[in-house]
Amino acid sequence: MNQRIFQRLYWEQVKNLTVANMKSRYRKTFAGFLWVVMSPILIYSVQSLVFKHFLKIAIPNYSLFLLGGILPWIFVTTSIEMCTPLFLTTRDVLLGFKINPLVILLSQLLDNFFNFLFAFLILLIPTWIFFGENIQGLPYLIFALINLVLGVTGVTWILSILQVFYRDTRFVLPFITNVALFLTPIFYPPEFVPENIRAIIVLNPLYILILPVRTCIYNFGSSEFLNQILAANFVTASSLLIAFYYWRKKRNEFYIHL
Amino acid sequence: MNSISISESSIAKVSNLKLAYNMDFYEANNLRDFFIKGVRAPIDFLLKPKEKFLALDDISFEVKRGDRIGILGINGSGKTTLCRCLSGMLVPSEGSVETHGEVRPIFNTTISVLPELTGRENAEMLALLLFPDLTPEERQSLVNEGLAFAELGDFLDVPFKSYSRGMQARLCLSVITARPCDLLILDEVFEGADLSFQKKISKRTLSMIEDSGAVVLVSHFPEHIKLSCNRVLIIDKSKLVFDGDVDKGLNLYNKITGLSQV
Repeated sequence: MNQRIFQRLYWEQVKNLTVANMKSRYRKTFAGFLWVVMSPILIYSVQSLVFKHFLKIAIPNYSLFLLGGILPWIFVTTSIEMCTPLFLTTRDVLLGFKINPLVILLSQLLDNFFNFLFAFLILLIPTWIFFGENIQGLPYLIFALINLVLGVTGVTWILSILQVFYRDTRFVLPFITNVALFLTPIFYPPEFVPENIRAIIVLNPLYILILPVRTCIYNFGSSEFLNQILAANFVTASSLLIAFYYWRKKRNEFYIHL
Repeated sequence: MNSISISESSIAKVSNLKLAYNMDFYEANNLRDFFIKGVRAPIDFLLKPKEKFLALDDISFEVKRGDRIGILGINGSGKTTLCRCLSGMLVPSEGSVETHGEVRPIFNTTISVLPELTGRENAEMLALLLFPDLTPEERQSLVNEGLAFAELGDFLDVPFKSYSRGMQARLCLSVITARPCDLLILDEVFEGADLSFQKKISKRTLSMIEDSGAVVLVSHFPEHIKLSCNRVLIIDKSKLVFDGDVDKGLNLYNKITGLSQV
């Protein structure tokens, strides 16, 4: 069987497993769907209320600015949270048959991505209409989102393998992501950070992946976007290459440790 | 529905296969220990060569069309590792494993893909993962046949997580045994199902074995090997110590394990 047929078969598996994951998560009901997408919407609403009305943060169109940062951030952190223990929770399937672990990972990730996308669009459309921001960046959003998913694939692939070898990885990560939320310009702009440490803060790879999404919906500028998407592509390519190398190097031990 | 696709007689060839693992798992299996180890003795941590465990040592054999190979060996001798190498899940450290045609390894028969979904939906997912090369229609007809064989009635539409272990094995075995292939690898698959279903599924498994190009069967029960196989391999301490006739192989295995002769 040639490589192309293999790729088609893997994609078929990913697609069907994603649908099954979504069915399982939504409990096959609309209420189940609402339950899943409500959580990011609620987090966004509370943060928007607190920073805009209580702390009176002085950023024009702050709701849109926050939306472009916090929703992708929630997608990244929930993906890390859900995918890191994935190989261990599906160990019976992975050890029982010959199944590419990446199929399992991608289906979980895509399930999570569609939930993010639904929540994102539910919030984006009315916020955009209300604030009347220009929609010039809209066509570029697809590139930013594809890059985001691929970048998160690389990151979660590395972490889910790491979890097989170091069983406390999943307990260390929430601590890191909680700290990182405050050190990443998600709910504040990078200009708020003192200049001497700004260069370090904006080098956070998760921020580099998220930034093009924000630029597409808030204050779009084509040259600014081009620079950001190139940096994001670099982070994505690096994370995928590291993940692939790590998998190739640890493949045999992976099945033993599982 | 038979997927046998090759004409040549050799289905798999294992040449001078060696498989070694790093032993570092026994030293640190969490980030905290890893961190402590690195800080306490950084030079050792970075430069000390890792100890290796040789799980398979210089193994060579060929699987030909029509072979029904039983693999025997005490726990930890390397039987499952050899099967995982044959299936392509593990990569040889030295030597090579060549296979031709569809290889289907089965190491567990009480698996749910998504326990929250029903038995029927899990059977469909299982078929998708096991038989990705079939068209959706072929796969559906295979699932329907397997579900009818499982005789689970109304339980098919109940979440899989509420099944007993016996019911789980019934469903999985019925789907798994629905289709032969070029090289079938079965690692202790007779276990798990309840006694009343075991006879029925054994008959079906034997029929699948008959229809497949070649079979590699791992079992702790010599009677299964005697019933299904025409050749025996014995693995002892990571080495292949016997390759040949079933009766001779079973006698040698009994000597190794200290049991009486069959």
